[in-house]
Amino acid sequence: MESSDPARVRRWLSELTKSSQRWIRATVLAGVWVGLTTIAQMVLLAWLAYQGVIEQQPVTGLTPAYLLLIAVLLLRAIGQGLQTRFAARCSEEVRRDVRRQLHRKWQSLGPVVLADASAASLTREWLDHVEALHGYFARFLPQMMLSVIVPLLILAVVFWLDWLAGIFLVLSAPLIPLFMALVGMGAEKVNQQHFETVSRLSGQFLDKVRGLTTLQLFGQTAQASSTLHHRSDQFRLITLKTLKIAFLSSAVLEFFASVAIAVIAIYIGFGLLGYISFGPSSELTLFSGLLILLLAPEFFQPLRTLSQHYHDRAAALGASAEIIARLDQPVTPTKKTTLATATDASVIALQHVSLCYDVGPEVIRSVTLTVKQGETIVLTGPSGGGKSSLLHMLAGFLQPDSGSISVFGQPAGEQPFGWLGQKGFWIQGTWADNLRMTCPDASDIAIEKALHQVGLADLVEHREHGIYSVIGEDGQGLSGGQARRLSLARIFLADYDLVLLDEPTAGLDATSEIHVLDALHKLSEAGKTLILSTHHQALFTLADRLLIVNDGEVRDA
Amino acid sequence: MRDLRPWFHLILQRRGRLFVGALLLLATLISGIALLALSGWFLTETALVGLLFAAGIQAYINLYVPGGGIRFFAVSRTVARYLERLYNHNTVLRLLTDIRVALFDRMAQSGHRDRGRHKGAHWLSRLTSDVDALDTLYLRLVAPAALAAVVTLLVVALVWLLFTWQIALILLAMLATAFLIASWALYCRTQTLAGKLNERQEHLRSEVIEHLEGFSELTAAGRIGKHAALLKRQSLTLDKDQAVIETRTGWHLAFTQLLINVSAVFVLWAGFSLFQNGSVSGPVLVMLPIVLLGLNEVYAMLPDAFGKLGATVAAARRLNEEITPSGVQPANTAAGTTLAASDLSIGHPGSAPVMTHFSLSVQAGDRLGIVGVSGSGKSSLADTFAGVIPALSGTIERPDCVYLTQRTVVFEDTVKANLLLGNPKATDADLWRVLELVELAERFKREDAALDTWLGSGGNRLSGGEARRLVLARVLLSSAPLVILDEPFTGVDADTRARIAPLIDRWLEGRTVISLGHGPEALLPSDHILHLS
Repeated sequence: MESSDPARVRRWLSELTKSSQRWIRATVLAGVWVGLTTIAQMVLLAWLAYQGVIEQQPVTGLTPAYLLLIAVLLLRAIGQGLQTRFAARCSEEVRRDVRRQLHRKWQSLGPVVLADASAASLTREWLDHVEALHGYFARFLPQMMLSVIVPLLILAVVFWLDWLAGIFLVLSAPLIPLFMALVGMGAEKVNQQHFETVSRLSGQFLDKVRGLTTLQLFGQTAQASSTLHHRSDQFRLITLKTLKIAFLSSAVLEFFASVAIAVIAIYIGFGLLGYISFGPSSELTLFSGLLILLLAPEFFQPLRTLSQHYHDRAAALGASAEIIARLDQPVTPTKKTTLATATDASVIALQHVSLCYDVGPEVIRSVTLTVKQGETIVLTGPSGGGKSSLLHMLAGFLQPDSGSISVFGQPAGEQPFGWLGQKGFWIQGTWADNLRMTCPDASDIAIEKALHQVGLADLVEHREHGIYSVIGEDGQGLSGGQARRLSLARIFLADYDLVLLDEPTAGLDATSEIHVLDALHKLSEAGKTLILSTHHQALFTLADRLLIVNDGEVRDA
Repeated sequence: MRDLRPWFHLILQRRGRLFVGALLLLATLISGIALLALSGWFLTETALVGLLFAAGIQAYINLYVPGGGIRFFAVSRTVARYLERLYNHNTVLRLLTDIRVALFDRMAQSGHRDRGRHKGAHWLSRLTSDVDALDTLYLRLVAPAALAAVVTLLVVALVWLLFTWQIALILLAMLATAFLIASWALYCRTQTLAGKLNERQEHLRSEVIEHLEGFSELTAAGRIGKHAALLKRQSLTLDKDQAVIETRTGWHLAFTQLLINVSAVFVLWAGFSLFQNGSVSGPVLVMLPIVLLGLNEVYAMLPDAFGKLGATVAAARRLNEEITPSGVQPANTAAGTTLAASDLSIGHPGSAPVMTHFSLSVQAGDRLGIVGVSGSGKSSLADTFAGVIPALSGTIERPDCVYLTQRTVVFEDTVKANLLLGNPKATDADLWRVLELVELAERFKREDAALDTWLGSGGNRLSGGEARRLVLARVLLSSAPLVILDEPFTGVDADTRARIAPLIDRWLEGRTVISLGHGPEALLPSDHILHLS
């Protein structure tokens, strides 16, 4: 999948921000509160030192100030706690929104298109990539605002105390955007490099673990271990070269912060001694001097915190790019709500239906077909002739490019129906859980009966918990044939009017094949409309109509 | 916590580096604290002397030592920080390697060779995330905790020296409480939740994959939205639990810092009476609270690491299980010149046997074919012959063997490295000869790097058939007297198979060959064919 452009990613992220605006705002507010109480804390500390050392006040006289200071510290701690509490909630709605968006996209892509992507990578998008958005909303975004607001607050106080000291800080203030860029570039580089190294290392490690049995069989594990060691060392040396440069940018920030503090300390010291004959320094006292000194590191602290959160941003941008690429995946063909003109509720009607994939010739060419309720239709013909495409359109998984489909008077896929693909599916859980996936209200007896219909009853009967025993408890799981019969059992249970089956017996073992054939007979006798594709001669006997699908066209055999 | 012990032990192998790294961290931290503390001391000193000057009293002040000190610490903080980051990143990268190599070695020694096959597809992804969790053990947990402890003791000693031992003891109690709140208490409060979070995430992952596998059926049944809602709800619960951990971490941090700030206030308050009776000077009185405020920086690193410690311990526990020796030894395998199996029960330990009372005898030089559909226990039989899984009962006698597993395993390495596994002593000429045999020689002669061609992750630069022929060539390089081939020609087209099968048969002349497949056409030419049902 191609990655999206950065501007699009940023736009998408800022749109997501809307739903969580109030939490982000609350986080920033709490952060500002912490900034204000920090200033108050430093004011009181400096004032107490001044009163004690210079004014020589007795300790008892200062008790109210001490108590006030403790109260301020408490308020600060509460602000700090609330800040993380709000921050933890910042991305809750975002994550929920994105998961919803992604699932909606999966649904509109439909099962056929979705099957082109691996289940593992779709799952990674839905879980891990969405998770990666958290740090950006909870930590990076609020901190970015705080790293502007809090230094400004501190600057205002310092200016009020001594404008010359303020100017020292202001001199670094225009540098803040520069710092941010520097820190950003550095942190991004470090992050990228580190991530790359770790994933390459993990790749090498996993590669060896995956093939461990092979290595053991050839007696080559020691050799593999030394290769792993050697490769890792090479990565390390390459990485360190990059890091040497990348760390410089944060060193620059550190250097400016240190120098600013040193300059201010020396300026104030000389001012207090009366060595400086210009500017406001004659007004300096231990109170104002000490306060400026105490505030100076707090001026730089928000930026340092921001640089720690930079990797959150990088992770979110990377994840967003992949999520957006999925969301932007075109739905082909574009969904048209073509309802058949003849909406006879007793037939399935296809009228001049055509279908073609992105590029290339039509796979279905102007097919017109009517299926009566209760009929069993068997589609056969060479692979690639269009059997599956036809079934997928009847299921509503694919939309025709032209023509119309009506299933018992409604668009395809509107009403629930039975579908049996080439892979049966089961979930970790009990037999009952598995059957209630599609029929939540089914009774225990109905479930037992359905399992009996497909010949799975003996797997359940001798178990202590019957249908409430867990599938695959014995570590064996289900064979392909058993899984497909389980899916068939769901169809029995749900009592659908229409059942579509794509090669129901392909690749089955003999036992399963017999059971599947038998089950299809029962369904057909029960008056269900069955449409199935197959190469299997034994299934032809089921057919009320046998149709040959070849080269996109359908004709009676 | 006991689960972390082997990993701590591993990390401590690099004691020297850890120590230097910790010293650099300490230098950084002390420079930062000293810069501010010395500045505070200097300001108070100048303020006091300034008052004397203003009153017209002669006084002496040494500006050079504190001025020089301030400049020195400003520079040393920057330099130490830069060196510390570079040095410790180097250490972390070394530890990354150490952990992976050690884990690999121990897994290789622990015996169970069929590892992973029954642990599901997510086993590898979980393994990855568990190893990643251990990577941060040193830099995020061990180093900051040790540093916080050392700096705390230094500060307490300083207070003892400059003030009194009573004040120092009270301070120690306050800081120790702060330390425990930031570390142990938080670990206890988040342990269970954090430890289970990862497991629940992996559980959800399997469920999402199941959801995708059943997408057609669920869509057809009109249940897709309902089932998705279930998954969304679970995700939300996970999000909320994660938020709980983060919130607790945040409150513990806030409380820790509150205690440190209060201890700074306490020192200022307690110092006053000492100042007033003249046993402590003003500059020292102002300096110590600033030193204490400086502790915030190192304590702030603790809660994050300890809030995640529960997850780290859980990860370590899972990894420890991976490296526990299986205890199952293929003890019933004896050496011999022919293959003789009697009364074998075959299957995976802990599940029902797939085959019982199986006896077989193959003469040296024989060609035996075994045919069976998938699920007939054919691969388990091959695994048992080769000793990948032990027989549940019965005995096997066999010579040294080489085994082509059903799964094609190509390593992310060069053609040459992949082939040499079969026979490390093979020359380039040998390699070309065997590649010629499986009709891959032309394919790699065309590449610039020839035998050094890089095969990419999982051999993804090869087609399925090419990869199969490559691993077949690897097996053929070995000179073991018994050759077991499970589905030797998977993915190889019929024409190629027809051409190379007789050549391979000739290459293996004089050796015992057992080939297994889903049908007779999938085998090497055989003297006898055995059908499994």
